[in-house]
Amino acid sequence: MSIESLINRRSLLRGSVAAAAVVGVGGLSACATGGPIGGDDTPDPTTGGESQAPMDPNNPFGLEEDATIDAFIFDGGYGTDYVDYAAKQLNTLFPDVKVTVKPSTDIAGELQPRFVGGTPPDLVDNSGAKSIGFGTILDQLSDLDKLLEAPNYEGTPIKDTLFGGVTAPGTFGGRFVAMNYVFALYAVWYSQSLFDENGWTPPTTWDEAIDLGKKAKEKDKYLFLWGREAATYYQTMAIESAIKQGGDEVRLALENIEENCWSHPAIQAVFEKLHTIVSEGMFKPGGSGTQFTAAQAQWTNNQDALLYPSGSWIENEMKKQTKEGFELTGVPTPVVDSSSAMPYEALHSAAGEPFIIPTKAKNAAGGFELLRAMLSAEAAAKFAEEKFAPTVVEGVVPEDGFGSTALVSQSDMLAAAGEDKFDFKFVNLYGMNADMLTVWNSFLDGQDDVAGLTSRLQKIVDDVRNDPNVEKVPVQ
Amino acid sequence: MTAADTTTTRRAASPRGSGTPRRRRHRLTFDKVSFMVVFLGVPLAVYAVFVLSPFVQACYFALTRWSGFDPNPEFIGFENFVRLFQDQTFLKALGNNVILLVVIPPVTIFLALVLATIVTMGGPTRGQIRGIKGAGFYRVVSFFPYVVPAIAIGLMWLMIFDPSSGPVNSVLTAIGLDQFQSYPWLGRVLTAMPVTIFVIVWAFVGFYMILFVAAIKGIPSEIYEAARIDGAGRWRTLWSVTLPQVRSNVQTAWIYLGIFALDAFVYLQALNANGGPENSTLVMGQYLYRTAFTKNQFGMATATGVVMAIITLAFAALVFLVNHLTGGSEKEERR
Repeated sequence: MSIESLINRRSLLRGSVAAAAVVGVGGLSACATGGPIGGDDTPDPTTGGESQAPMDPNNPFGLEEDATIDAFIFDGGYGTDYVDYAAKQLNTLFPDVKVTVKPSTDIAGELQPRFVGGTPPDLVDNSGAKSIGFGTILDQLSDLDKLLEAPNYEGTPIKDTLFGGVTAPGTFGGRFVAMNYVFALYAVWYSQSLFDENGWTPPTTWDEAIDLGKKAKEKDKYLFLWGREAATYYQTMAIESAIKQGGDEVRLALENIEENCWSHPAIQAVFEKLHTIVSEGMFKPGGSGTQFTAAQAQWTNNQDALLYPSGSWIENEMKKQTKEGFELTGVPTPVVDSSSAMPYEALHSAAGEPFIIPTKAKNAAGGFELLRAMLSAEAAAKFAEEKFAPTVVEGVVPEDGFGSTALVSQSDMLAAAGEDKFDFKFVNLYGMNADMLTVWNSFLDGQDDVAGLTSRLQKIVDDVRNDPNVEKVPVQ
Repeated sequence: MTAADTTTTRRAASPRGSGTPRRRRHRLTFDKVSFMVVFLGVPLAVYAVFVLSPFVQACYFALTRWSGFDPNPEFIGFENFVRLFQDQTFLKALGNNVILLVVIPPVTIFLALVLATIVTMGGPTRGQIRGIKGAGFYRVVSFFPYVVPAIAIGLMWLMIFDPSSGPVNSVLTAIGLDQFQSYPWLGRVLTAMPVTIFVIVWAFVGFYMILFVAAIKGIPSEIYEAARIDGAGRWRTLWSVTLPQVRSNVQTAWIYLGIFALDAFVYLQALNANGGPENSTLVMGQYLYRTAFTKNQFGMATATGVVMAIITLAFAALVFLVNHLTGGSEKEERR
């Protein structure tokens, strides 16, 4: 009896270790193995499986010559013209294929009836505030592994042209279903010119941050500021710091919304430091009543605060409201101390703009082919040049970052991080951000302490875990 | 043959038909049928397709577990409703709607009625009954907020109450009240709801003032003159003459404002899209929106919608009942 259970547990452990090895931290090894890893219970002759047939390098997905491709693209900060550009490239190989690129700002709203009716488009950029929650459509999405195996338009296998770890954000429950196209990384941003002027250096630990906050006070400035809709940027920063400090177990506990996950010592240590910063008055007061764009302008324009944690989109977002000569620069999130499990240089990097191909798409091969065109070196370089943002395709951004200090610092951070890149998705995957905003606004406003913050965040997570309406996506 | 048949039957029918002349009047001619199809059938069909069928569908989806993207929702009975009323956040939102419902209609109606009285009969107590000097100007100005879209009103007040650069805090700190330096009016539990209510009342008062002005203008001035001769003061006139005369307008206003207070989505979304500090300004509409579009629980969200509809109908019924029990004008009008 006891031996049997022991064996069971051991085989279970072995199984999970093997699974972890296959999926890998960055998900890189997942691409290498190819083919669906598991959970593919809806095989579709046009999209999944059948990878035995040799690929034609010019037409790896068997696109028909006179097919039509129906692409549904989120029309946000990056527009949709980059997909049009890829469509033109596609037409050089397949002149008779007709590609329709439909821009949309309401992906979920417009595609809901099409998913329900079983007539989804061939390619969807599931992005923006009104994107479809991945948990809800996971079983209606094709595995994209064969995309990585295919050669790009220049002849190199696509998997060899991408940054490390870019498949991780599109991998759910071991299945790689979303090709994220734009590279984004999370950092703490500051004005290099302001720091040079005052002889300040960006902090690498929280104690250094607190020291910097004291120096800022002397200049009548604050260390941080926040806006009410973006209070959870500080949660993102805290989680990053805790993962770097406590290692991958912190990430897994949160991703799997475990019991007492917020009580992990690394998270608690970061919360305590943040609470010190709050209670020392190093946050600009009034953030809970300030719109986040207004708050961000107080940082980029008035320079009321020194540091701001955000994603790399911040440069583009604040372009028109940034002081002349600001020299926006990013550094990795601070760690608690030098005993951290990951190096300080470790980065929270995520690729954005997830492109998906529904299993019920009429012409899934067309969706794959259009994605292949987008991932060509030519299309990727064009994107980086026009949008000032790198794609997941490596090595197409020049040294000078097209004249942007932020883009240069991104390249530096990426190079320094090496393979130490991680991502976490549980907040948006389970739609918890709105509830968490409330908690973080109170905490940053000094209305709540670490114990209160912890218990309230835990309750949000517990409610989701105990909710039978929510499909859980395990992360290994 | 057939023609003869019809004539005989018609003749045979006529003596009986004369006993019931109504039957003849109801005969369906092409004229009548086409009229009914166009003026009754088409609107009815539109109503059935775009109003009734979504209602029925919503009632069904409220009983399912549905992600919104799944073609086959799972039927789970009343589970959504049970969970809804166990959810602290929903109960908080419901409570906030009740606060709006209790505060907004009486405050708005009171202010609108007072303003309407001032511009119609607040003038000098001698001579003809008329409003204060420049009444026409005030009437126009006070209607302005209603012309501005709700979302613009929300965003405008958001800037006015901005902690760092808003004029409210600038004025308060300028007169020496330093505790309002960077005070987040919409970011503290104590002030978020009162400020929100203030903005909504500000937006609505002008419209209801115009409504009451029109009603008051319809009251014969002899009544006011008689009251004045009897020695009634301004408040007495308002309470004993104006109010009973505009009673049905007040009832309408109350129902409209009440229905608004049970929704209030636009203003709340503009002022505090994430529900305000500690969800102190979260309303059911926002809860529904959040459940559907950020949590992708469309079954649960439709259940919320059904609950909102039931509460709104119950409220309207309550207003009618109260009015009926207190001997409202509705009954007299029906006669």
